Amino acid sequence: MTDKYRKVAYYPGCALEGTGHAYNRSTKEVGKALGLELVELKNWNCCGAMEVKNIDPKLQTFLSARNLKIAEDMGFETVMAPCNGCYHNLKKAEHDLAHDPASQQVVDRLSAKAGQTAYQPGHVTTIHALDWIRDAIGTEGLRARVRNSLRGLKIANYYGCMYTRPRHIFPEKDKGPGSESTSKPHFMDDLLEAAGAENVEYPLKTACCGGAHTLSDSDTSTRLVLNLLTTAEACGADVIATECPTCHSGLEMHQARAEKVFGKKTQVKILYFTQLIGMALGLSARRVGVHENFSDSRELLRARGLG
Amino acid sequence: MPIHEQSLIRPENLVRQDKLTIDGVDVSGDWSTFIETRVVTDYNEAMQDEIAALPGGEYIHRCWQCGSCTNSCTVNAINPDFNPRYWIYLIRLGMEEELLRDKDIIWQCVSCNKCTYACPRDVVPEGVMKATAHWLELKGHTRPSTATVFDEVFSDQVFATGRIEEGRLMRGFFARTGQSLTQEWLVGMIRGLVSRLPVGLLMRLGLAAVLHPRTGGWGRTRQAIADYVAEQDASRRTALHLPPAPEARR
Repeated sequence: MTDKYRKVAYYPGCALEGTGHAYNRSTKEVGKALGLELVELKNWNCCGAMEVKNIDPKLQTFLSARNLKIAEDMGFETVMAPCNGCYHNLKKAEHDLAHDPASQQVVDRLSAKAGQTAYQPGHVTTIHALDWIRDAIGTEGLRARVRNSLRGLKIANYYGCMYTRPRHIFPEKDKGPGSESTSKPHFMDDLLEAAGAENVEYPLKTACCGGAHTLSDSDTSTRLVLNLLTTAEACGADVIATECPTCHSGLEMHQARAEKVFGKKTQVKILYFTQLIGMALGLSARRVGVHENFSDSRELLRARGLG
Repeated sequence: MPIHEQSLIRPENLVRQDKLTIDGVDVSGDWSTFIETRVVTDYNEAMQDEIAALPGGEYIHRCWQCGSCTNSCTVNAINPDFNPRYWIYLIRLGMEEELLRDKDIIWQCVSCNKCTYACPRDVVPEGVMKATAHWLELKGHTRPSTATVFDEVFSDQVFATGRIEEGRLMRGFFARTGQSLTQEWLVGMIRGLVSRLPVGLLMRLGLAAVLHPRTGGWGRTRQAIADYVAEQDASRRTALHLPPAPEARR
């Protein structure tokens, strides 16, 4: 546990202003409920997501580094990004700038042309919303604050690709007990368990939802998502907990698409882990934006006394 | 773990002969199946270097063909023809014609990075897949894939405004790929959501679509990016021995 996460810079990213609106809302509400302060980056820009690197990877590094520089200029040592894509790209920029002089050169050159000071590695640490809650409050701290336990709710924890791969951009992971694992991540499991939920053994925690091609190769994405959904159901899950807006909306969209296009209906509900933790802390379903999800889980939550 | 092999002996190269006499000996029924003689004369010796010159392809030379990439591959699990190890093998040997047999699926890599995670040689197979897909497009072997169109529509919006507004992104992508925005499954999903959303939020989302969120003070950054993209495009065309683009891409 650390006090340095009591007040951190907040990088919501583009998705959280659109389809991931409920993640943005629930993250902020959970922060408020836990007494953690988030200060949004001023004039942030897109991190490059999964697309700009295919035009040019160093351009993606520049876009991500620009946000790290903003955090530094605002006086922060830590920036929290709830979106796996943003989190991944900021981490990757930090890694590339520290290890690849050619990347730093491009960032220096583009920053100078744009009239900005270039970011130098080592000044800002990027954390995920999972690190934020876990390290600022701790699982025991969270357990002590639970007012409306998630008892009886069976959850499959789904982390996706960008939170753990590739391993080398996450130097703090795989460091033994207490650190996050890249092969079998557990930070979300730990938090939801503390919130009272029953985590099911889900073998596809870090499988891919096809989010990169969710629109450009929809059939592949639908097949991948359908596998995630049916496996979660086979494991006995009521809910798939997510920690990435791209995975989350991918699961929701392709759950609907699998039903309409493939004729395969699945019942499992999809909720952001921050929505689940918010409700465990006593916030209403509406307060954490459950009605903003495409996947309508209101009935299930009401039945479990969480509505 | 299964080893996903790819055989170079295809059905059309197998010849069956029911009646066969060799040197006066009747071998019918015993030696009826033969593999057609196959001589490869059209090696493309530049292919590996060209793909290595594109972003992501830099480390292809490190590969020692262990097959960890294909074993861990998300797309291979649903389409056995998607075989990164095999493609890297072909590229390194310069077997262009063999590679072109799979030209229409290479772009389907979903960038899950399981291969990059598993690779013991740091080849970054995910990057090699992207570089190969771009090589196929730049060389004119394939039209730009829907994924490339999406990357371009997405990146153009980021370069222009600093941010992504999803509604505009989807409209742009569907327009460029000639798809209807009113696909049944999409409409059904949005209708369900709209019936639950409060009016205030709907208005906010609607306003975002009209006003387009943008990053303040982006003007000089936009110009710096545009210059860089043009410079990189030109240097890649040179590396691929292509003439300068007839017009700037953007």
